[in-house]
Amino acid sequence: MLSTLYALLFYTASVLMVVGLALKIRKYARTPAPLKIPTTPAPTTRGGVVLRMAREVVFFESLFKSNKWIWLFGYLFHVGLLLVLLRHFRYFTNPVWWWVELIQPFGVYASFAMVAGLAGLWARRFLVERIRYISSPSDHLMLALLLAIGLSGMTMKFAAQTDIVAVKVFFLGLMRFQINELPMHLPLLVHLGLVAILMIIFPISKLLHVPGLFFSPSRNQVDNSRDKRHLAPWAAELEK
Amino acid sequence: MVPLDDDSKKNDVRGPTGHPLEIPRLACGAMADLESYHAKPAHNEPLGFPGELIDDWKEVAIAKIGELASKNRAFQVYLDACVKCGACTDKCHYFLGTGDPKNMPVARQDLLRSVYRRYYTFAGKNFPWLVGARDLTREVLDEWYNYYHQCSQCRRCSVFCPYGIDTAEISMAAREILDTVGQGQKYCNEIIAKVKDVGNNLGLNPKALRATLEDLEEDLEEETGISVRLPLDEKGADILLITPSADFFAEPHIEGLLGYAKVFHAAGVSWTISSYASEAANFGMFIGSYENMREVSLRIRKAAQDLGVKRIVFGECGHAWRVAYSFLNTLAGPFDFLDQNYPIPQHILEFTHAEIEKGTLNFDKSRNDEYRMTYHDSCNVARGSRMGDKPGGQFEIPRAVLKAVCNNYFDMDRDTIKESTVCCGGGGGLLTDELMDLRTKGASPRMKALQQVTEDHGVTHMAAICAICKTQFSKVMPKFGYEMDSVLSVHQLVSNAIILDGQQTADDTSEAEE
Amino acid sequence: MSYDVNGTSVEHDEEGYITNLADWTEDLANVIAKAEEVDMNEEHWEVVNFLRSYYEEYQIAPAVRVLIKAVKKTMGPEKGNNKYMYELFPYGPAKQACKIAGLPKPTGCV
Repeated sequence: MLSTLYALLFYTASVLMVVGLALKIRKYARTPAPLKIPTTPAPTTRGGVVLRMAREVVFFESLFKSNKWIWLFGYLFHVGLLLVLLRHFRYFTNPVWWWVELIQPFGVYASFAMVAGLAGLWARRFLVERIRYISSPSDHLMLALLLAIGLSGMTMKFAAQTDIVAVKVFFLGLMRFQINELPMHLPLLVHLGLVAILMIIFPISKLLHVPGLFFSPSRNQVDNSRDKRHLAPWAAELEK
Repeated sequence: MVPLDDDSKKNDVRGPTGHPLEIPRLACGAMADLESYHAKPAHNEPLGFPGELIDDWKEVAIAKIGELASKNRAFQVYLDACVKCGACTDKCHYFLGTGDPKNMPVARQDLLRSVYRRYYTFAGKNFPWLVGARDLTREVLDEWYNYYHQCSQCRRCSVFCPYGIDTAEISMAAREILDTVGQGQKYCNEIIAKVKDVGNNLGLNPKALRATLEDLEEDLEEETGISVRLPLDEKGADILLITPSADFFAEPHIEGLLGYAKVFHAAGVSWTISSYASEAANFGMFIGSYENMREVSLRIRKAAQDLGVKRIVFGECGHAWRVAYSFLNTLAGPFDFLDQNYPIPQHILEFTHAEIEKGTLNFDKSRNDEYRMTYHDSCNVARGSRMGDKPGGQFEIPRAVLKAVCNNYFDMDRDTIKESTVCCGGGGGLLTDELMDLRTKGASPRMKALQQVTEDHGVTHMAAICAICKTQFSKVMPKFGYEMDSVLSVHQLVSNAIILDGQQTADDTSEAEE
Repeated sequence: MSYDVNGTSVEHDEEGYITNLADWTEDLANVIAKAEEVDMNEEHWEVVNFLRSYYEEYQIAPAVRVLIKAVKKTMGPEKGNNKYMYELFPYGPAKQACKIAGLPKPTGCV
């Protein structure tokens, strides 16, 4: 019964996340940027922009310039999350890909980094006056949600172990549209439930910073306005 | 002491001046009542906006948010992408100067984002309390007016945002929404209307412009003993100079204009000013109006075509150079009728720098020995444009020119120059007397950085390449212990040092200039 | 918003510039100067009169440099400088003197 419910939940969450993100990305892609507004100094070539964007995505370059504490906590969280996510491929692949095996030990400890980063970011929301001022309930809840996902996951790894073989059977089944039995284990049910919630709210929350970064004109535009005329379709209409 | 705050160090005020970027305690509502004068119908209507607040302002404003989000990717993405990380919270000079939390970039954006969420997002429509969404009310509209006219659109926050969110884009959009419902700002809109009518911000008509230029030619001849021209409306000249009208009117701007004239003279090029396009400034940018910005830009295109010039060179003006460098090709291009061997448009500093490299200019640097100089990077030049071929040329070229004409040059604190430069406090349409309190407070980070180099290196003067910066500093510097003429045009220093062929080089020349 | 000049009221804008330039009289100039806390003496009048005659010819206030040059001719070099102008009109010769002279406010980046 609960297995069916969770199966449906994950199908729904996946569809909402994928379709929601696709719609948002389509919207960003189709909305024209009428003017050249890269924050300068900016690269003068497409390749340079790819590098600039890579530095933002891989190193959080601008955040590093801005504030070392936010950078440290944010980086710990994001890198931790990335490794943890990659490690989770083991529940969706059979046999497990070699590189997933390779990062397995790092992935486990990355959860500590992830949780520590989240805790630091959350602490700042209480302790730094300026950030307390700009925080909405949703900003706290988002951190609570991510923290609860991390902690429930760690509980299963380090405290009350769950039957991960059964979990894997469940998810491999979902990928073939079969509903197998999910272990009735509280930390697991909490963990999966919260992950589904995160997937559902992804396209309608500030998690849109993920696709948003790639569409940010101040970062993704080439500084070549004198050499190449840039004209938005609606602006071209004005010239007729 | 607040733990986990790396900046707490900066809260320890050291000495009487303190760190330029010292973070204040929050002073909620400190600037809430500062309201710049509203535009009259006579200012709004020529720009295509309703004269006064329209009856259905609420519906129109909400619809305008949607329209702008569909026409401007930056606006759409920036409304969605912010995670409230706080990286920008201590980056705005107006926040640093006033402590008002609504002058923190993210909080300024949220004034509009909260309304966007309420009407355009699932979460804001259904759970407004959760995501800080709010209804658009008259109070909110008034709050927009006051706080979006406390942003100089300097883009400093955008440098430090992990997603490049640019508060300037939000502030421009907010002003366009306000204009659309008849809540324009007097300072900007009166000026744009004047450009459309007379050709410049000042309202300087061709007759007065000609008289001013002739007067300046007399001064130049008196100073140098040779004829240095300031041509007006001369067809067939090679170069059209587009410079802020403040260069025809105010101090130290005019000294810069004399510098351009001397450089053109020494370089042996023919040039002209246009009475039709006698303005580099384009306040259409400040109010976020593509259409108005385009209309003002097209005057430059028309002037260039009518006069048959081959090149366009821009004088010292910060936001004008952003519009010129980044937008002119878009707004008024293509400039296929100009000489493609030169940048279109070109900055006067690029021109002067190239002449220095070629060795065509003669300088006696000692003529600037009375000054110990530093340089203020203007925000729009620093973060919204470029000079030369390489990224960062906008920082290197002005410094190279300054060092070519002055013996004593020192940079200010590295966190307050180049891409991290702090705004003068008067940009973005805020250079109006009723905002003097904000302008003074917003200038304090720059002034503290200046005080540091005064203490450390005995710096006496600061050079700038923006009409707004020059006026702003000459007004606020006396409040920080400097004479009002402690701000100089870069080309004023060029003018002081340059020695033209055949020029009388009596020792008293430089004194006579003072 | 208006100035009271011997019982008649003269309209001005929120910054104190008169809205109808034809309303200007010497009495009005004294009233505006009083509101601006400027004590009008012969030198103030010299500047005001120059501004008015320049405006009459060119429909705009002169550049500060042009004003100073004119003042230098009539009052001598020790008074023909920017600093002295600010002593006469602390809020600036361009803005405050124009206000007293009944000229519109110079707009732009000035």
